[in-house]
Amino acid sequence: MIFNSEISAQQQHTTSPVVTGGSVIALVYNGGVVIGTDTLCSYGSMAEFKNVEKIAQVSKNTIYVSSGEFSDFQQVVKELAKIDRQALQYDDGVHPSPRDYGNYLARLSYKKRCKINPLYLQNVIAGFHNGERYLALVDIYGTYLESNFVTTGFASYFCKAIISNYWNENCTLEQAKQVIKECFKVLFCRDCRAHDVIQIAYVDEQGTHIEQPERVETKWDFNGFKTRANEKLHTQ
Amino acid sequence: MLKHLYDTDCVTWSPQGKLFQVEYAMEAVKQGSICLGLKSNENVVLCSLKRQPSELAGYQEKQFKIDDHMAIAIAGLTADARVLCKYMRTECLEYKYTYESHHPVGRLVFKVAEKSQHKTQSGAKRPYGVGLLVAGIDPNGVHLFETCPSGNYYEYKCQAIGSRSQAARTYFESWFHLFEKSTLEQLILHGLSAIKKAIMEDEELNEKNVEVGILGKNLKFTHLNAQELKDYIAKLETFSPNSQIQQE
Repeated sequence: MIFNSEISAQQQHTTSPVVTGGSVIALVYNGGVVIGTDTLCSYGSMAEFKNVEKIAQVSKNTIYVSSGEFSDFQQVVKELAKIDRQALQYDDGVHPSPRDYGNYLARLSYKKRCKINPLYLQNVIAGFHNGERYLALVDIYGTYLESNFVTTGFASYFCKAIISNYWNENCTLEQAKQVIKECFKVLFCRDCRAHDVIQIAYVDEQGTHIEQPERVETKWDFNGFKTRANEKLHTQ
Repeated sequence: MLKHLYDTDCVTWSPQGKLFQVEYAMEAVKQGSICLGLKSNENVVLCSLKRQPSELAGYQEKQFKIDDHMAIAIAGLTADARVLCKYMRTECLEYKYTYESHHPVGRLVFKVAEKSQHKTQSGAKRPYGVGLLVAGIDPNGVHLFETCPSGNYYEYKCQAIGSRSQAARTYFESWFHLFEKSTLEQLILHGLSAIKKAIMEDEELNEKNVEVGILGKNLKFTHLNAQELKDYIAKLETFSPNSQIQQE
């Protein structure tokens, strides 16, 4: 049982988020791992910050994205970069692998969760190391799950059907990207905090490739929107 | 070693630029019984000669597993070795807990060296009186390091420390060019041959007083058991490095 005095004595920085990022979808394909996320940071229900690049390249072959409180995301990026930098002082050329980052983040999240001061994030770490694809989800509680596909936020509810019907772990990069774009179309239609400009990044043997943000095609010029029943728009 | 002036503590230099307390600590390593290590492209082997304080006593173990991928052989003060061993094991465990992977070998040796150096720069402390041979495997390859009380550490292809280790080193100098491509069995036989050079005339190698530890890219650290040791010591009779050259 947690007594109130225990909680108030501890620091509690993020128990409810302020500026939040949207869903993240990550899929494994035959040559690596591809991640897609939208470029919006919401201030509650307001679409405050558009064109935010939310994909962090943590090392040569690892990328990190998360949904949730954006300031926590920025802090974690700094923490992960710190590990890589500290590796330099040993002069042995050994750098953390994607799995090292994933586990470190899980330990960090769990520690903060135990103090009721969580990193308010669903984290996704993707990488390619020694010929092996790596993809893991670390959630707000510090749960660590390695998987072939990962979805956070509303994507977990809307997109799993699309992923299971149109994706498999040995598909091509183009097929995986297509699935991600379809998912974000659906999310834009159904999730109130989603945005139609998304950014895709993938890691393969050659390293990390982060693409420019792009707008997913959605159709809004239905007749039903233009002429509502028994009504004409002012312009007509 | 003779007594010197300027040797009262670690914080006094001699006019020749030596820290005598540190040098005396390295003498303690030379008093320990011999242990040696040698590596190939795939494996590392540690061999050591165990001492028996009296006929009633057991033999003092000289090799300790630090983690699945790393082990040490010690020469010098066993009590100091235990402290360093515990430190290394704790570091490996913490690394594994945080990153779920093995502690890079060079990095841990660096940490041990830093700890050792710290003891050489204080008026109230003394250096560790033990030298370690650290054998380990990590993504950078196969490693064999030597640490010493001064806080220096070196990487080796093969090395022997402890009493009468010069004889073993002489053996290594003649044959180390064969080690890189040796099989595990050849490596063990080389190690035992080198130890044989370093024992006293009235002593003999047997499965009780010799300790052999092996480590490989796909092989977690293990000690050879008594039967395996007996077999290898028997094979020593017919083993010669020359035959290895003829094979290649």
